[in-house]
Amino acid sequence: MSTAFRPILGNSCARATTSTEMRYRIDRPILGRQGARIIGLDTGADAIVQRISEEPWGHARFFSLAGSVGEIGDGGSESVALRGTDGAESNLLAELDDADVVIMVATTDADGAAATIIGAACTVRAIMTAGLVIGDQALVGATVAAVRPHARVLMVSGEPHDVVDLLSALRA
Amino acid sequence: MLRADINELLTRTGPGTPMGELFRQYWMPAILSDELPENDCPPVRVKLLSERMIAFRDSEGRYGLMDEFCAHRGASLWFGRNEGSGLRCPYHGWKYDVTGQAVEIPSEPENSTFCAHVKLTSYPLVKVGDLLWTYMGDPEKRPPLPEFEFATVPPEQTYSSKRWQECNWLQAFEGGIDSSHVSFLHSGGLKSDPLFKGAKGNEYNMADLKPFFEVADSEGGLFVGARRNAEDDSYYWRITPWVMPCFTMVPPRGDHPLHGHFWIPIDDENCWAYSFDYHPVRPLTATEVQAMKDGHGVHSENIPGTYRPAANKDNDYLIDREAQKRGDTYSGVKGIAMQDASLQESMGPIVDRTKEMLVSADSGIIKARQLLKRAVEALRDSGVTPPGVDPAHHRVRSAAVVLPRDAAFAEACREDLSVREGVPQTSV
Repeated sequence: MSTAFRPILGNSCARATTSTEMRYRIDRPILGRQGARIIGLDTGADAIVQRISEEPWGHARFFSLAGSVGEIGDGGSESVALRGTDGAESNLLAELDDADVVIMVATTDADGAAATIIGAACTVRAIMTAGLVIGDQALVGATVAAVRPHARVLMVSGEPHDVVDLLSALRA
Repeated sequence: MLRADINELLTRTGPGTPMGELFRQYWMPAILSDELPENDCPPVRVKLLSERMIAFRDSEGRYGLMDEFCAHRGASLWFGRNEGSGLRCPYHGWKYDVTGQAVEIPSEPENSTFCAHVKLTSYPLVKVGDLLWTYMGDPEKRPPLPEFEFATVPPEQTYSSKRWQECNWLQAFEGGIDSSHVSFLHSGGLKSDPLFKGAKGNEYNMADLKPFFEVADSEGGLFVGARRNAEDDSYYWRITPWVMPCFTMVPPRGDHPLHGHFWIPIDDENCWAYSFDYHPVRPLTATEVQAMKDGHGVHSENIPGTYRPAANKDNDYLIDREAQKRGDTYSGVKGIAMQDASLQESMGPIVDRTKEMLVSADSGIIKARQLLKRAVEALRDSGVTPPGVDPAHHRVRSAAVVLPRDAAFAEACREDLSVREGVPQTSV
């Protein structure tokens, strides 16, 4: 500690960690996350995403793939058609415009090509990606392998409610 | 963020609280065995899960852990005389054995049976490795003794220390599974700490500051994997196991010893950080042990005669701004342990998690909280024994490994993440 400065107030040194001093922390409203996009990558995941979308969220938007994405490298296309859980049609590029995190949810039959395109599109746009693979670890190996290269964070879980917990923690 | 009610649920560990009941399902470190070095040595005050107790070692070498205060007038038995196979209150001479049973009440007539009805609350205290462990739960549900590898290898292969951390156990524990802070807060240590430096893995660590994370369930808790680019066709993985409720291991570096922690609640605003180093197949060298005693690696330099770190909140953790500028340390605080503790204590005695702004890289922490919550509720509502009680769950190791890019760590490292007697740790 510098000898030139000796803290004299409770809040001007590291001792200011008491419950009493905690009361003086600035109590400002915390904005929720503005741009979470949750995309189901297979039928099982779509059911989870649909169910979760019915809970109250901030600005999160929930989607399934509107159709099979097809072969990777299809002309380098970033075109992935999405269907919102409210039935509205959309596409990946439009949804990434104001996104700050994309969470891919998968179970046992993920569309690997979709994961590749979504991951690449997010990387180019500096958007964080996360993958949640829901199912018994012994059964989801192929899905994990398909999603892993494209998700900066990958959670493998037997518990579908983990999607809700993650979104809640992220203030989605 | 975490809802206020869940934050309360997970951070309050006193008697009668759901999280306190969860902790009471496990054997926990109570003190270092060195704190009771010989028969009839001075007793030691112990506070765990908001209960004040006294630990002592009687004339026959038996360990006892019981209510600190004499049943008679409530005087502290820390002042007691440890003699003749019991601890005697110096106030009026009441004497207790290691089970808390009163064995002498001098003011009563000879042959009186009164003392048979006086018994202090007590808990078992058992030596396993360098630690004395206690179990504070229902005696009928007492599990088998712990089998963590650091506590079961020969004594010359292991070293344990402890330090007082002035914050709630949960925020201290969460640092143990927060792999993303290592490349920043502890970056200086990778270059200079005698218990870390020199490993090939350190080069991968420093070359890739944006690791990918993978969280996978384990029987006792979680494995948290952090992967960084290694060679063109491979990733460098660092895998941290968490065994519920509060045991974590740090992935190894080269042939340096393995290390890890327990975070044990003292009360809701203080915890013990137990830190250990061990090598599965060889004795620790004198140089390594000296480095640990000097506070390197995961250990701390404590004020002599205490378990309070020499760098603490009263002296601003001896922060050195010049060292911070030079890059010797990232935060200016010296030592891995105090780098963590200084920031975790700065969050307040119990951090308000409703104010957090978590990101997806915090998935390990998010998942651990949910597993704790589910375990607490399952125990409270249905009496379900939580993960981590079964000693089979204790037999895990951390690992650092280079894997092909298409390999899943949970499968590729299944054996590396398990204790294998006579087999060294998997490390890079």
